[in-house]
Amino acid sequence: MSEMANTDPEGIDAVRMTWNVWPRTKVEASKCVVPLAATISPIRSHPDIPTLPYAPLRCRTCTAALNAFARVDFTAKIWICPFCYQRNHFPPHYAMISETNLPCELYPQYTTVQYALYPDPNNPASAPQFPPVFVFVLDTCMIEEELGFVKSAMKQAIGLLPENALVGFVSFGTQAHVHELGFSDMSKVYVFRGSKEVSKEQVLEQLGLGASGRRPTPGHPKGLQNGYTDTGVNRFLLPAADCEFTLNSLLDELHTDQWPVKAGQRALRCTGVALSVAAGLLGACMPGTGARIVALVGGPCTEGPGTIVSEDLSEPVRSHKDLDKDAVPYFKKAVKFYDSLAKQLVSQGHVLDLFASALDQVGVAEMKVAVERTGGLVVLAESFGHPVFKDSFKRMFEDGEQSLGLCFNGTLEINCSKDIKIQGVIGPCTSLEKKGPNVADTVIGEGNTTAWKMCGLDKSTCLTVLFDLSSSDRSNAPGVANPQLYLQFLTSYQDPDGKTMLRVTTVTRQWVDSAVSSEELIQGFDQETAAVVMARVTSQKMEMEEGFDATRWLDRNLIRLCSKFGDYRKDDPSSFTLNPCFSLFPQFMFNLRRSQFMQVFNNSPDETAYFRMLLNRENITNAAVMIQPSLIAYSFNSLPQPALLDVASISADRILLLDSYFSIVIFHGMTIAQWRNMGYQNQPEHQAFAQLLQAPQTDAQMIIRDRFPVPRLVVCDQHGSQARFLLAKLNPSATYNNANEMAAGSDVIFTDDVSLQVFFEHLQKLAVQS
Amino acid sequence: MAAPVPPGAPRSGANARQQPPPPNFNPNYQTNPNSLADNMQNLNLNRPFTMPNSGPRPPPFGQQPPFPQSSVSAGFPVASRSGQPPGMVGRPAVVPSGPPQSTLPANVLPGRPVGSPVSHMPPFGSGLPSASLPSSTGGAVLPSVAFPSSGVPTVSVAPPPAGSLPGSFLSSSPFTGGPAVPMSNALAGPLSNGTPAVGSGALPGPPQFPSAASVSQPPVGPPPSMMSARPPAQASAMHSVLGSSAVSSPITPPLPSASPFSAAPQSRPPPPGSPYGPQAWPMQPQQGFQPPHIPGTAHAQPSRMFGMPQQLPNQAATTISPAMGQPGAPLSGSSKIDPSQIPRPAPSATPIVYETRHGNSANPPPPATSDYIVRDAGNCSPRYVRCTLNQIPCTADLLTTSGMQLSLLVQPMALPHPSEDPIQVVDFGESGPVRCSRCKGYINPFMKFIDQGRKFICNLCGFTDDTPRDYHCNLGPDGRRRDADERPELCKGTVEFVASKEYMVRDPMPSVYFFLIDVSMNAVQTGATAAACSAISQVIADLPEGPRTLVGIATFDSTVHFYNLKRALQQPLMLIIPDIQDVYTPLETDVIVQLSECRQHLELLLENIPTMFQTSTTAESCFGAAIKAAFLAMKCTGGKLLVFQSVLPSVGTGALSSREAEGRTNISASEKEAHKLLQPADKILKTMAIEFAEYQVCVDVFLTTQSYVDIASISVIPRTTGGQVYYYYPFSAVSDPAKLYNDLRWNITRPQGFEAVMRVRCSQGIQVHDYSGNFCRRIPTDIDLPGIDCDKCILVTLKHDDKLQDGSECAFQCALLYTTVYGQRRIRVTNLSLPCTNMLSNLFRSADLDAQFANFLKQAAIEIPTAPLMQVRDQVTNLCINILLSYRKFCATVSSSGQLILPEALKLLPLYTLALIKSTGLRNDGRIDDRSFWFNYVSSLSTPLAVPLVYPRMFAIHNLNSKEGDGSILPSTIPLSSEHVSDDGIYLLENGEDVLIYFGSSVDLNIVQQLFGFTSVDEVPTQFVMQQFDNPLSKKLNDVVNVIRQQRCSYLRSKLCKKGDPSGMLFLSCMVEDKNAGGASYVEFLVHIHRQIQMKMS
Repeated sequence: MSEMANTDPEGIDAVRMTWNVWPRTKVEASKCVVPLAATISPIRSHPDIPTLPYAPLRCRTCTAALNAFARVDFTAKIWICPFCYQRNHFPPHYAMISETNLPCELYPQYTTVQYALYPDPNNPASAPQFPPVFVFVLDTCMIEEELGFVKSAMKQAIGLLPENALVGFVSFGTQAHVHELGFSDMSKVYVFRGSKEVSKEQVLEQLGLGASGRRPTPGHPKGLQNGYTDTGVNRFLLPAADCEFTLNSLLDELHTDQWPVKAGQRALRCTGVALSVAAGLLGACMPGTGARIVALVGGPCTEGPGTIVSEDLSEPVRSHKDLDKDAVPYFKKAVKFYDSLAKQLVSQGHVLDLFASALDQVGVAEMKVAVERTGGLVVLAESFGHPVFKDSFKRMFEDGEQSLGLCFNGTLEINCSKDIKIQGVIGPCTSLEKKGPNVADTVIGEGNTTAWKMCGLDKSTCLTVLFDLSSSDRSNAPGVANPQLYLQFLTSYQDPDGKTMLRVTTVTRQWVDSAVSSEELIQGFDQETAAVVMARVTSQKMEMEEGFDATRWLDRNLIRLCSKFGDYRKDDPSSFTLNPCFSLFPQFMFNLRRSQFMQVFNNSPDETAYFRMLLNRENITNAAVMIQPSLIAYSFNSLPQPALLDVASISADRILLLDSYFSIVIFHGMTIAQWRNMGYQNQPEHQAFAQLLQAPQTDAQMIIRDRFPVPRLVVCDQHGSQARFLLAKLNPSATYNNANEMAAGSDVIFTDDVSLQVFFEHLQKLAVQS
Repeated sequence: MAAPVPPGAPRSGANARQQPPPPNFNPNYQTNPNSLADNMQNLNLNRPFTMPNSGPRPPPFGQQPPFPQSSVSAGFPVASRSGQPPGMVGRPAVVPSGPPQSTLPANVLPGRPVGSPVSHMPPFGSGLPSASLPSSTGGAVLPSVAFPSSGVPTVSVAPPPAGSLPGSFLSSSPFTGGPAVPMSNALAGPLSNGTPAVGSGALPGPPQFPSAASVSQPPVGPPPSMMSARPPAQASAMHSVLGSSAVSSPITPPLPSASPFSAAPQSRPPPPGSPYGPQAWPMQPQQGFQPPHIPGTAHAQPSRMFGMPQQLPNQAATTISPAMGQPGAPLSGSSKIDPSQIPRPAPSATPIVYETRHGNSANPPPPATSDYIVRDAGNCSPRYVRCTLNQIPCTADLLTTSGMQLSLLVQPMALPHPSEDPIQVVDFGESGPVRCSRCKGYINPFMKFIDQGRKFICNLCGFTDDTPRDYHCNLGPDGRRRDADERPELCKGTVEFVASKEYMVRDPMPSVYFFLIDVSMNAVQTGATAAACSAISQVIADLPEGPRTLVGIATFDSTVHFYNLKRALQQPLMLIIPDIQDVYTPLETDVIVQLSECRQHLELLLENIPTMFQTSTTAESCFGAAIKAAFLAMKCTGGKLLVFQSVLPSVGTGALSSREAEGRTNISASEKEAHKLLQPADKILKTMAIEFAEYQVCVDVFLTTQSYVDIASISVIPRTTGGQVYYYYPFSAVSDPAKLYNDLRWNITRPQGFEAVMRVRCSQGIQVHDYSGNFCRRIPTDIDLPGIDCDKCILVTLKHDDKLQDGSECAFQCALLYTTVYGQRRIRVTNLSLPCTNMLSNLFRSADLDAQFANFLKQAAIEIPTAPLMQVRDQVTNLCINILLSYRKFCATVSSSGQLILPEALKLLPLYTLALIKSTGLRNDGRIDDRSFWFNYVSSLSTPLAVPLVYPRMFAIHNLNSKEGDGSILPSTIPLSSEHVSDDGIYLLENGEDVLIYFGSSVDLNIVQQLFGFTSVDEVPTQFVMQQFDNPLSKKLNDVVNVIRQQRCSYLRSKLCKKGDPSGMLFLSCMVEDKNAGGASYVEFLVHIHRQIQMKMS
């Protein structure tokens, strides 16, 4: 597997592109089938990135930052912007610049540099330290046991928070309760009715944070320490150190929702109101500061705005089928509600994190918009007692190496060479609607802009930028054509310590005239990225376009791609060959077609939404695993080795480790399982067996440790019921249709799905058709 | 009085003790003897007024004459028309006597002490054993005041000279004094006792009463006029002549008259003596003989009067004959009237035993304010139902002619006298009480069983029903069922049936008490919040014990704060409802929890609330939203919602604006529409109130304010839900907390019921026209009372829809279906059966002054918000004039056109009418809120408190020591005229709600020091708390106040007034007999009426 070979395909820039060589014209680009796209992990840490304690120089016209690709005239003290060719004078403090005395950003190897910005660089001491704000929004409509789990998780989390972090607490059931943590006389709670939508203004008004409590310049908080005491913030948001005791005792006394649940009905749960109240509270208290709403939800919203299902148990929560048939009375309304909530949160710069734990759906599909647009984290588990939740939740607050590096208030700006148009971004961000010459007419994802807001972002956050080319025929332009194209990504954000950072990544690629030769193009193709981008685009289309037939669309594109880039004789399937640069792509597509992203009917809308959100925000490597899981085989005779993702890989004397990102399966072959059950591993003479058993466990833990959300670990035996987690991902090369051909000890999959072989046969046939 | 809240125990005890002694006679009353004359009072305007004086004379007869004045007056021609004793005063006595009512100990501070409270509660609540009742209720009994007109002894006796009727009435002229006296005495005596009794009853000693009563009465012998001859007997009242006659005659007459009459009466009611003795008021123990005269008079009169011959006695016409009689002489005339001779209320004496039926006919009840003990003989106690006319006119025309109105004053849960038998509870098992299958009337003593008991005829609709098989019983030779006397429902006017399942739409509700406290900045800073919390905290101990008692609490300013009091929590949890435009309840359960579960939290919370909001700067108050939220929390059970509000509700649902200020700044525009300020500002609260009522939530509002709060709007809620408004203005943290506590305590501990429905049924020919009071009406026939208690009275106006048969009886049945505080569903059925008559004179004779006046008062209150004040005053005056005109025209024998002749029974009507016109509600100069409060207060006001409200009692308290040995605690009352207020005196005036203590300008400082601890009058503060100092005078004063409190079932708010101060003006404005900005003097008013009548006659 190629991705395993190359441990850092993104390099210092953390940028990967579907095509590393770009065709010159729009027409040519469209012939390439796979869109021009770049994925970037804006704040991925890398040891080689320098941090500069000053602000970057910006081009006068296009505001691009000075970078290694700028041409510099050292004598005239001028630099020429590679994007717009504007000549800019260096300011006085760059007077020392010379060929031998370059500022860091001009070093060719530092295509990515980071600037540490303070409001007042001359007086860093006065810089406000923004403590992070966490508002926990806790569902209480659940059984005591679940509530117990989530309460202890919360207590643990509060203990992990930095002492200065501000904490707020909202609990909800039939009604939403805002706890006034700063009230010392007794526990004090503001109760909002669950059935009524409240605007931000109403929340402020009703919490007594009206006009006087509002900071006049949202987005630019100042004088936080003394400023907020007047606003009443300290009534609701307290430093973790101050309110830990209060919160703990409050949690101790917190019971499941007191409102009775009638037989045959769901508990009334006003998730929507609780979230908008929390958002309103944050809006009043900390406009513009980094703040997260951490929602812990244990069931579907059945009351008020955001309702996804009626309280009547006889009515099931909507399925994909219902969505398809448009038999979803609540769906659109709920989505609209969360859309407006997302807008509010984005304008405030706040994040919504969603931890949903329930056997049934809780409405992730509806809430997706709010989570994704604000860059929130999302974790979906079956229970608050399940490690998927517990460990993920803990990870979120952990410090040090394990830290997710949660940052706030990010904005991404993209500058690109003339003729390059940005269609949009897929991933956890929101368009800032900043129009410019580089904005394409067609929109994919968050578009119509060259700047995006990322209220929350972390080290692993990854965005996919889709490009188009201007329709003017570039090759006709006089020979000034620059053979290089440039893209610059500027990401500013507040790091976990509250410092404002700006990272500038500038990349360059080559234009080619693909009309002449496609060879260069082929060499520039990144199969993995292409597969992921195709998956993201397809998911996007499935959500946005009604009646979109994803499988067919993928097939058609794959055929077109193979037709264009394959070597074959017309109408002779057997003559078909593909350049190695493309060789993996069809298999990716095969697995993508079978994946949960395309085959939604095996999943609930919540799961689908969850998977897609993660698909969109993870880096290429992880996303590729989601599409095409990795399989490693462990046996006595060899080192662990990658195995074919095929049912044929199953063998009685092997242990398989499947990583499909969301779950990790350790699969013991039948013989191994028997030995294990007989306890051989405990016998000294079978040390080797013990080690064999341990090896996949150790590897699994390594994977789990680095991953967020924590994947579900499934340990199973051949023919066991849990084995389905493995079988579902394998290529069904052996099914009951051809079972008789199988070797002993292997396995079959009971499915009518086509196998990879059949898929390839058809592909070849169709690709060569004239 | 002493300490506001302190150790209560003592006080109750004290009262009790004191009172007991005098059972029969209170000093005051005794003194009255003179006044006794009441019966026949003819007033001579000319005559000097005797009241006060009367006190002294013991002897029955002698009384009046003594006065010099009388002599003076004598000159007047006035005739006392009715031969009777001139004293117009007759009935009036009632008012003053008021005292008797005992009161509820509870209210009194002492209440706290264990004793009293406990006792109270149980009885009623339980409804069960009556036994407890006495003790508990004790307080409340109303003493019937002097039934006879005692008070007025006054009257004058206009003797014979007047010549008017002399001849005719034997008794009349001469005796006026005489006869009257006796009567009054009789009454008085009892009354006085009564009072004490009450007091005692409440607390200590029920026993006393009985004994006292019995004792006293027996002796009496005299024929209680009332008793015996229903018709005649009552005559006692007779007409008095205002006229001159009075003077001289008095003395002599008495005797003569006495003898004759005495005889008569006796015959009727057999022996007034022992058997009946008790019952009747007859008795003036002391003067046995005198009473008799009455009857005599009666006879005499007959001839004269119109249709009504003999019975006249009652109808005393009294009158004013003032000299002015002459048409021409207006003012001058008036000047000639001797103020001391005009009718005035006379104090009552000892308690009377009153049997509701005698022979086979209804016995007219004693005055509402007198002290009486009822023996239920088939008709209900007048405490429960009192009719404006004790004989029912057969036709609507007759009623119209009389100018009077026919209505019932129903007070279904009224406090009985401790010595009365408890209401018996009858359980018919699952089948429920026997009822008429057509009109659904309940079985009662007037249902007639026929056909060997197999069928019975409904006395209400006349339908013949089959007797249920298991209820069958043979008839005795007298045609009654043989078991009639064993079955309370067949022999008692009032019984309670255990309600069967079919009377329940759900299980009887628990007792739910929800306290809602204003904690806005103003409330906290004025101490109102602290006062409310402290009151609630203390009152928790008085709530019924047991799992059925649920309690909740919430506070509010610009938001509503609920508290989760669940014991499982370490501390109460405060739940804030911030959305005050559209409220909701924060929890479905835990907001209202069992008292036993939350007692500690509750106490802790109440202690903390005032400090918790100490620094609050929230000036807004969302009253409407708060009660709505509390309602939502209570919705599933219903219950009592007690709201403590301190400022104008300014935000949230049902917010109000400061209309008063707008009205003031815009006077010219608002002048015409001034009464609009007395109407609710909008319909929001009304709509809310109806919803509350539907879910059985009863709201009481305690307004502890220092500013305008728009009572007109707020009061809609309590009015509609069977609650009540309490008004503390201007609230004083010094003096009001004690009253607040006592009011709250009485509110919770008084006998009461929940989720009640009431309907009054009448015999064919009469039907209910309308109900008015504090309730909600959703269907025309029934009224819904989420809460009903012993203080609430409902006015039921009646109308004819057919003719009644002369000689038959007309029955009224009030059925109240309710849930006791202990969760039993009961139907209280009260029956009243009154004779029908075709004779106008009978109507006048049987008119019930207290009921008539209460009717007046309530009707005026209804008018106030809808008509200009001027118009309301005119209406009231005209009502009075029309009645008197009718009497004059059709019943009085006119000897001189110059005489103002008043029916004996109604001779105080002009005085009360005048007082009403000058009352807070009808005065021009009052604050809007005061007026709003007034007419709301009136809407549910009980009959015994109606008169005192407008015509308060006044006592001199600077000379408490001077009266010794007469056994009564209360000094004698003083007419409300500044003539009687001297500069060196200290006076106490009470109207059932407030107590004013007035300091003359040259008071003996030593007395001031002893009573109040001030060294000079200048030190007198406006806010004060009465204390008991270690000297006899102070002790006496405290005793007096406590007695009054018991009588009024109210703690009474005390205000100190100084001459020459605004507070002094307040006091003087209560002198209703004076001429002042509010209207004419009493004499002038009489002249005015007289002139009007003359004009109409001609």
